[in-house]
Amino acid sequence: MAKEESPRVSRRSTRSATSTPTSNKITEGGTEEAVDLCSPSVSDLVYGDPISLDVLLSTFPGRKNQILDLIQLLGPLNSPTLPFFVYGGPSTGKTSVILQLFRHLNRPFVYSSFRTCYSLRILFESILNQLILHHRNAANGYSSAKRCDKPSDFVILLREALTGVIKSLKESVGKSKFSKSERPINGYMTYLIFDNLEVVREWGKASSLLPFLFNLYDILKIPEVGVIFISSTSPDMFYSNMSCVEPIPIYFPSYAENDLRQILLRNQANQKLYSSFLDVVLRPFCRITRRLDELCPIFATLYMQYCKPLSDPGAVPNEDMKRRLYSNLQPEISSALNEIFRVQSRSSPEAETSRKPEQIGGKRKLASSEKLNELDFHMCTSAKYLLISSFLASRNPATLDASLFDSTGGSDSRKRRRKSSDKVKAQQETAEEELLTKGPGSFPLERLLAIYQCLTSVAEGSPDEEAGPDDWIGIGGENNMLSSDVLLQISSLCNANILVKGGSCPLEGSTRYRCMVSEDLALKVARTLRFPLAKYIYRR
Amino acid sequence: MASSASAAVVGSSPHRPLPPALSDNNLQPLFVLHKAASEKEDRKSVRRRMNIAPADHQRVDAGECMDGFQEQLQREAFEFVWSKIEKTIKAVLKNINSDAFSEINSWILESFQAINSFSSTSSYEATRSFPTAIDPASKRLFTGLVLTRNMEFVDDLMTFEDLAQHLKSQGCHVANLSSLEFSADNGTGGCIRSLLRQFLLSAVDAADMSILSSWYHALGNGTPVVVIVNELERCCGSVLSDFIIMLSEWVVKIPVILIIGASTVDVPGNILHFNALRCLCSCKFTLRTPVERMDAIIEAVLVKKCSGFSISQKVAVFMRNYFTSHDGTLSAFIRALKIACAQHFVTEPLSCLLKGFDEDENQCFQEKYDFLQEAISKYNWSITSCRRRSKVDERGGKKLVSAMVELKRLQDGWSCALMCLYEAGKRSQIHLLDLLCEVLDPDLYASRSPDSNSSSRKGSFISQAIQNVRDLPEAQFINLLKSWEKHVIAIPEIHGKVKDLQYMWKFGNAKRRKEQPPDMPRTQTSQNHLNVQRASKAVNDRAAIFIEYLINDLMQPMECVPFHEIVCFKNVEKLKAALAGDPRRQIQVDLLGSCRTLHCSCCCRYRDILLPSMQDTSIMYTLSQEHGDVINLYDWYESFKLILQPTNKGKHKKQSIFSKKKDTGKSEKLNEVAIQGRFCRGVTELQIAGLLKMQSKRRPDYLQRVAFGL
Amino acid sequence: MGAEDAAEKALNLLRSRLCNPTFIFRPLCDSPDSNYSKLKFIVSSSITEACNNSVLLLGPRGSGKTAVLELVIGDLLLEHPDMITVIRLNGLLHSDDNSAFKEIARQLCVEHQLLFSKMASFDDNSQFLLAMLRECGLAHKTITFVLDEFDLFTQGRQRLLYALLDAMQSISSQAVVIGVSCRLDADQLLEKRVKSRFSHRKLLFLPPSKEDLQRLVEHVLSLPMDSSLPHHYAAEFNAKLQSILVDNRFQEIIDSYWDSYPAIRHLAKFLFRAVSSLNLDLGHLSLDNFKTALPSIKRQPKMESLRDCSILELYLLVCMKRLEVKEQNSYSFSAVIKEYKTIHDSFQTSDYFGQNVCRRAFEHLLQCGLIGFTDGRAHNQGIEFRPVKLLISPSELTQGLKSYNSCPALLLKLCA
Repeated sequence: MAKEESPRVSRRSTRSATSTPTSNKITEGGTEEAVDLCSPSVSDLVYGDPISLDVLLSTFPGRKNQILDLIQLLGPLNSPTLPFFVYGGPSTGKTSVILQLFRHLNRPFVYSSFRTCYSLRILFESILNQLILHHRNAANGYSSAKRCDKPSDFVILLREALTGVIKSLKESVGKSKFSKSERPINGYMTYLIFDNLEVVREWGKASSLLPFLFNLYDILKIPEVGVIFISSTSPDMFYSNMSCVEPIPIYFPSYAENDLRQILLRNQANQKLYSSFLDVVLRPFCRITRRLDELCPIFATLYMQYCKPLSDPGAVPNEDMKRRLYSNLQPEISSALNEIFRVQSRSSPEAETSRKPEQIGGKRKLASSEKLNELDFHMCTSAKYLLISSFLASRNPATLDASLFDSTGGSDSRKRRRKSSDKVKAQQETAEEELLTKGPGSFPLERLLAIYQCLTSVAEGSPDEEAGPDDWIGIGGENNMLSSDVLLQISSLCNANILVKGGSCPLEGSTRYRCMVSEDLALKVARTLRFPLAKYIYRR
Repeated sequence: MASSASAAVVGSSPHRPLPPALSDNNLQPLFVLHKAASEKEDRKSVRRRMNIAPADHQRVDAGECMDGFQEQLQREAFEFVWSKIEKTIKAVLKNINSDAFSEINSWILESFQAINSFSSTSSYEATRSFPTAIDPASKRLFTGLVLTRNMEFVDDLMTFEDLAQHLKSQGCHVANLSSLEFSADNGTGGCIRSLLRQFLLSAVDAADMSILSSWYHALGNGTPVVVIVNELERCCGSVLSDFIIMLSEWVVKIPVILIIGASTVDVPGNILHFNALRCLCSCKFTLRTPVERMDAIIEAVLVKKCSGFSISQKVAVFMRNYFTSHDGTLSAFIRALKIACAQHFVTEPLSCLLKGFDEDENQCFQEKYDFLQEAISKYNWSITSCRRRSKVDERGGKKLVSAMVELKRLQDGWSCALMCLYEAGKRSQIHLLDLLCEVLDPDLYASRSPDSNSSSRKGSFISQAIQNVRDLPEAQFINLLKSWEKHVIAIPEIHGKVKDLQYMWKFGNAKRRKEQPPDMPRTQTSQNHLNVQRASKAVNDRAAIFIEYLINDLMQPMECVPFHEIVCFKNVEKLKAALAGDPRRQIQVDLLGSCRTLHCSCCCRYRDILLPSMQDTSIMYTLSQEHGDVINLYDWYESFKLILQPTNKGKHKKQSIFSKKKDTGKSEKLNEVAIQGRFCRGVTELQIAGLLKMQSKRRPDYLQRVAFGL
Repeated sequence: MGAEDAAEKALNLLRSRLCNPTFIFRPLCDSPDSNYSKLKFIVSSSITEACNNSVLLLGPRGSGKTAVLELVIGDLLLEHPDMITVIRLNGLLHSDDNSAFKEIARQLCVEHQLLFSKMASFDDNSQFLLAMLRECGLAHKTITFVLDEFDLFTQGRQRLLYALLDAMQSISSQAVVIGVSCRLDADQLLEKRVKSRFSHRKLLFLPPSKEDLQRLVEHVLSLPMDSSLPHHYAAEFNAKLQSILVDNRFQEIIDSYWDSYPAIRHLAKFLFRAVSSLNLDLGHLSLDNFKTALPSIKRQPKMESLRDCSILELYLLVCMKRLEVKEQNSYSFSAVIKEYKTIHDSFQTSDYFGQNVCRRAFEHLLQCGLIGFTDGRAHNQGIEFRPVKLLISPSELTQGLKSYNSCPALLLKLCA
């Protein structure tokens, strides 16, 4: 009774919803009739203009077995299936293959990705909206057809929506021969596709959601429904606590090297040139990663470098040309191998200094230009001293502070350190271990402030160039050492992720801080202050 | 009351808004203590109330006996001047980033083209739930990395709002996500919800990207959608990464372009997950460094006097150091400037002359003339500089007017000289701030006598600048001359000097070209390359001499000019107290000397003895001084009780009010309870003030002092 | 041309059979001492003698508890029409009492054409339930409550179970509570007050014997002679099937699968995989359908993800293995990098990469689950310093390295 009610109602609502915007919408013509052609009917559950099998196969090199496998498992028209579990590393073409396959088969399906659907409610409502053919838009105030956020309600609504859709599909299959306005749809089997399933494991309520999803097929008990899961992590990450009969696994292995070559060659203008380029770069990069989505951007930029010396892009390379190109690409490759994130900078007057794309991390070892030992962001002096002292506080064991600094400041800390060298050694080893396993040590606020005091007193002794005739310490370096300024500085250091704070209230001594800066950054800062940091850090 | 008024004015500074009401009830110290951590202005006004700094006695007294008209004049003069300064600062900050903004805008248009080349999705496809593109390159999310090369972020909040405005005016859809949206607890949903709120201008219950895409395609006009994330360091990395990945999945359907504000280039690498990093196709833009902005502001406000107000050398040095050493934020600097300005107008009776100082001065002084008459006669003692020179008499008013005009003329000369010097120093990164501090130095001025052309001691910035002029390659030299000409256009005679410097340079060039036929043997070229250099060297020397002339003649520091007190703020002590006024120390001072603050007759007689009539918290804190850094709760309580109801010994006349029959066991009991209550309240207040730490589990009966000694 | 779509029709038939558990379990039901007959006796007794009953169906996953239950209910519905009302609850959906009562009320309303209000409160629903129980008791209609995933109902305060089982105690009501769970100790999870009201009837579902299995496979795979399928085709098909069934290579395949997954639903899954690879123009099943189905069902995910690793990731894995061999009880990424450096320094490997690249590889490993953090979600500091451990055994690692094509010999040497 209610079952055949729902689709008609929803269809009416969607028609009103979608016709109003299309009437007053100012889009390019093609889309317009596309919209009001497909919005009311069930036929926008299918992908749209089907493709042939060999187009499908040629679109995805190296995926032949998986595609044929899937076709077999989906079976002939209108034949029921058990749930699948499609898995394989990221960017191995799972999602695209499935979608294009459905495009080829031209069967109705409902797709929902857990990346976009970040919560139960969003997931449920998007699935229902698709089934009830409801588009959220300005006309209906961007509200979804049904409001539901509990699995129990969802099952009820889903069941009735599915039965409605399947019913209308069956009759549309019946009349699709002599109805020309709608695209024909193959069969009445409707498939639910859940993508990015691995994301759910991060959710707090995963424990309840995952079993529900995996049992959905058994709970629904509708033979005309197929369930397909797509995940980038292998099934055993899910079934550990899972209570269900596992779905049929289908595995997408990561691309082999020659697959990658074919895929990368797919839509290149100059095949020859690009393949000679791939001869150079593909092998070394495959030793790091075989992921397409990581290789593509790197290769794009490298290929530009590679083509730079060429006069015309259409040139067919001969041997010595290849050699020449390779020789001037060589340094680029070695640098690109060690970077994970490159930032271009537009060629502009003030960005002259950093014209070439610079890379994070890797440059640390590679380049040794002078712009490394200058600090590339502004800090005020007290913040710099705080940074250094926090760095020391988290690197050195607390027991050695006394031997490093004393009331007169660390000026004569060298010989003191010599004195206490033997006991230093022991603590040093432990400190090394700590640093290696637990990372930088944490310290209370008081210790930080004490070290800060020592350092500033030391700095006062040493001549300070940047303040010119009168040295800055005189003004408020010492006399309001512990004034709010320093505490404010600490808080802003925390904001800049230089200090990491554990605990609640900064005024309570119980808070422990931890300094996260890398050693070379600290050294850089010390260099700007002319502060001899190196002699305060313990080394073996 | 003048001071409290100033407190009110200062309190409403642009960055830390404070209702004037607050500054009235800073009479009770504890309230101040509580507020002290956050509000600097409060602290300052307290500090002044307590008259700890002896310098401001006479000024304040002068302020007290000042009549209403005077004060009102000063008030509106302040409003006038400060609004002017503020306007200037805003304008400077706005157009210092304009080139970066336009660059960002053009980049956005380019990347928008790139996105469109990837995705030709019809609005129908775009509203489908599944990704339509299969090319991995189409998942790239174009990201502009805007580098605010500054650890602090306060200054850049305005910058990013300006950026958003700029892009909106260029016709993009812009949403500005602050770092609060990317907190772990409200997750990805929070970001999307606020995105929708800003784009759709309506709250949607189930926030979903598909809504955004249908909204975008309903609009139908092809304009980029820009999302600005303004403070990367404070975002929760995982949430932001999820958000970015989600955006990158939708970028085919919605042409989203991300703009991230970060301090340095490698912040994203540290914060974002590598999956998110992979999606970004990023391009970096750099804003001006705080120092550059600072120089721009100084130039606009203090050097080219947008309003006659100026500061003395000590104040300048203090502010410079406060900027470089304490907190490197422009906002703090501007606040300091405002405080200085306000203080000046409060304390300086004649400061009202500053209003309309820079307009055509004659009538604006004439109309105040009658007031000036008696003003001078009243406060002539207060203007030391003119007393030094000549006895002020009834004709002081006219004298004053002429003096003001003179003052203004001097200022113009001074500023253009300083600008020339700055231009000369630019090549070796001499900052205007440092230069200003040096130029303002009166004794430095006194040291260099006009005849000795060795204008300044070695190593100083001035001498560096001059040296700079000496060895300047001619390409830059001509530019330098041009810039000088631009600066000195106001003053004809100097302009003439610059002119004939230029003539000379051109002449030299022409001569060189004449004696340099195109075809000539190599040996000769090298040889007369030398004398070419010699010639240009000569020009440089002339230029250097010109600069020294400027320095010696025009660069008279403010403090050496008669009547400078009217325009120039000198009292650095007060500013320091206002700005860096050390709250914790202040708290303790107030607690120990509470009777000084609340002037009650009874306690102030006996400075050193603790009396029960004193304020509880201050009694307790004074008592706690006897203990070490851990306080035994019980002993403390006992001593406290002893003070409040002294037994047989240690009682004096104050206590004798309590007659014997008064304190029976019953009232004792009551007192006991009451005392415990007061004690507990005292302890909590001390703890809130951050002077105590509550006892740990291990030692339940001990408190720890976290206050560091005075 | 007939063979083609006949084969397709046959394929559809087989697939729909395998997707429908009640069909699969039908052959196991005929024997008198089967769970089917016991359960049927219990329920029908409560129908005929108008008494209350409660029973637990316990058994491993896929051993056909729900299927048998469905069979029983279906048959009883045929035998005594409109004397049974079936209320189905699932622990995954209705584990909290509120939604459970609501769901019960909803189904009762649907059953008896009553108006169901979403707004009804917990108490309203429970009152309604008791009222309905009384009514049905008077009308001699049995209400059967099916609690799937019974163990999940025992979480929380068990108010639902208490309410139901308490209603069982009254004479007026006439109901059966059937709990289905794969936890064999499900009745131990009950609170005392609930347990005391529960009749400790338990039906245990054990894996069937070999010959039952044999019968079942035959029953599922053989085509019916009396159907729309052409007779000769069906006969041929069944003949081929017989020849496969008696073949002991087939027996081996079935056994090797049965040893790893001793449950009928799993077997059905396996058969489904095999059947779906049925060659349509060949027209009938062949042995290698089953042969190919076996590896594609029995997967070794760890091995696969090892095979997906790049050389660098393998290096990191080997480093971690070496650390574990050195009895470093807890080590972190930084330690692994140190080890990696030492290896590089000693052997001068060609692939030595920057720390951040290694870190990315490390995160790949985390993502594909070859390694894992030993601590909980402590995000206050970066990944570098969180303790990690290998999630694959060293033997697996070495085996994987051997099977990895173009694996550098150095790695094998280091790993050995």
